[in-house]
Amino acid sequence: MALYAQHGHGKSDKLTEAIGKGSLDGVIFAARNEQPDNLRAAIAETRSLSKAITLLVDPQFYVSTFVPPRDRYLPQYPYYKAGRVAADFVGAKRLQQYSKSTLDFQVGLGVDRLISPSVYVGSFEDRWFQIALNLADASLTYHAGLKKAPPLLLTFLIDEYAFASNQLVDDFLDQVTTWDVHGVYLIPTRTESTYSQRFEAVHFASLLYAAHVLGQINGFEIVAGYTDFCGLLLRSAGVKAFGSGWAQSARRFDRSSFIQRKGGGRPPRLRYASGPLLNSVLLSELEQIADISELDSVLSGVPLDDEITKAGSPESSAWNQRLSELHHWQTLAKLDAELTGEEGADVDKIAADIVSANALYAMLQNSGVVFDRNTTGDHLAEWGEAVKLFRERAEL
Amino acid sequence: MAELPRLTLEQVAGLVPGASNIRPIGKGGQKLVFCGDIDGRPFALKFALLPALTGDADPQTEVEARAAREVETMRDCDSPHMVKLGPVGLTVSECEGQRLLFFSEEFVDGEDVAAILQRDRRLAALEVVRLGLHVADAIRGLWDIGKIHRDIKPHNIVRGKASGDYVLLDAGYAFDVVGESLSQSFVLVGTVPYFPPERFDYTNRRSVMDFRSDLFSLGVTMYQAVTGVHPFWTAGETSHQVFARILNQRPRPPSTIQPGLPAGLDDIILRLLGKAPHLRYRKIEQFVTALRGLGVA
Repeated sequence: MALYAQHGHGKSDKLTEAIGKGSLDGVIFAARNEQPDNLRAAIAETRSLSKAITLLVDPQFYVSTFVPPRDRYLPQYPYYKAGRVAADFVGAKRLQQYSKSTLDFQVGLGVDRLISPSVYVGSFEDRWFQIALNLADASLTYHAGLKKAPPLLLTFLIDEYAFASNQLVDDFLDQVTTWDVHGVYLIPTRTESTYSQRFEAVHFASLLYAAHVLGQINGFEIVAGYTDFCGLLLRSAGVKAFGSGWAQSARRFDRSSFIQRKGGGRPPRLRYASGPLLNSVLLSELEQIADISELDSVLSGVPLDDEITKAGSPESSAWNQRLSELHHWQTLAKLDAELTGEEGADVDKIAADIVSANALYAMLQNSGVVFDRNTTGDHLAEWGEAVKLFRERAEL
Repeated sequence: MAELPRLTLEQVAGLVPGASNIRPIGKGGQKLVFCGDIDGRPFALKFALLPALTGDADPQTEVEARAAREVETMRDCDSPHMVKLGPVGLTVSECEGQRLLFFSEEFVDGEDVAAILQRDRRLAALEVVRLGLHVADAIRGLWDIGKIHRDIKPHNIVRGKASGDYVLLDAGYAFDVVGESLSQSFVLVGTVPYFPPERFDYTNRRSVMDFRSDLFSLGVTMYQAVTGVHPFWTAGETSHQVFARILNQRPRPPSTIQPGLPAGLDDIILRLLGKAPHLRYRKIEQFVTALRGLGVA
């Protein structure tokens, strides 16, 4: 099991609760969401809950190039400055300084891995990619001189569309595999801002291949940030751990979450994470499913299901946002625990789960259940195709 | 094919004072090679022909530049499995109207692997593992000084008669990953059936060529040595067919051709033959550990 909480706004006692219940293996703290002193305290507090848990801090250096940034507490961090442009990354001395200040800050925090500064890469052909490589190189060099520092993960924040070209992905992998580094913190950024499990098949296949090459073949520790349900597929392909947050904005990385906008979003609707459907559906949809007596077929089989089953119906239960968030982690953790670590077997299992979920969706829809546009099983066809393409490319 | 110098044994003796017992041992690439004793030890003496001087400011020729790099590589590489520079450094001289460039290198008394394979068809698995370990050390030594060999093949690997150790020869095509390229764009140097796919396939070769390219050529050599069959080339095929196979064909596991190989050797050799560098070993030590893990070395 290797599910990491992707920390975000409003942590309350969720981490304590989820760690206590054994749903999480690690936490990726987000610098943006805590003041530096509070971040230190949160790390210390979380460490006191479990010695075995893996703690990381995403320094979120990349936000410094977003305009206008929604950076909350980041300006209080020594390495962060809003409004950086490409010219701010010219010259080895500057890159060394960025790497030094970002890594030095983490060294004193008691984390298990250091995460390098990076920038958002929209394409493997644009200049930001070269900047990301240069920052990685500078971080590697600086880290090599640190005594007794935790192992380093090189950050790559890459747009899903960058994965469209196999050739460019190959070049990227050729480059990364020349580095003598412990691992990679890989964040696929998503173009669509709405929360759903959809992921274009060709892009996803290429991302799975990257995970396979880096994690399985080359033995790097890969932490796939902000990947939620998609992280399960990445785990089967060689990723060590995947991240998912309590808020939808921390379950997938969408740049718009880091850019200022007018007005707030509407409050999230109550959801239920269904293992058999490989999706998070709305509570109102779960109610429809209960109405046709198929509730058992979509339940995840985790302890918090009791909150639903002991009530007369999903909508009459005490289900609330907090329970939904904790349940989401329980579900992902259970699905992840079913993977064995044997790549071929795990990919087979995921492929079989996708087929089952697809059949279940079809049965429910044929029985009159109406799903929202973003909670249908449309993602399953994309995932199935992605797994097929990935298997062909990786010759699995 | 470059023109070779015309030299008699007496002329060689005149050009290399102190050398005795001179005898011809062959020709390779752009060089004529003799063996001669210097201070009681045998050395290979390699001669190349340089173009005549024109009287203008003559630029360094490709032959001179390559020889300089070859000498530098032999001098700097610390691996005992890479041939060493001899006592005569890079020298330019004239003989009978020919402008000559020459140097000496360690004479490895033994037999090259191509000759062994021609005679015995294949090597025992244990020998292939030793070959792999020894050549890997040479690749490591080269990479430590920022170089790749680019022409690893059976013909360039000699098994010492006395020690049985394998030594990698001919750094004439060695490529300096940070230095100036000596090859014109789109001109491929080396021996095609041992080329890694990235030698044909990438437009910006310099950014992706590293020791993993040499690992691929070593993989081809090990495959050929353990099975007696080249993984991508069959006699009579055109170079285009070889290109296509190197780029696209996954070779059969060696044990399907030569049963009874140590478990795991297939995986190691096939990994060396990965179509992209990222599919091969990212550290030479990983390859060495895998070979040692077979328990046959």
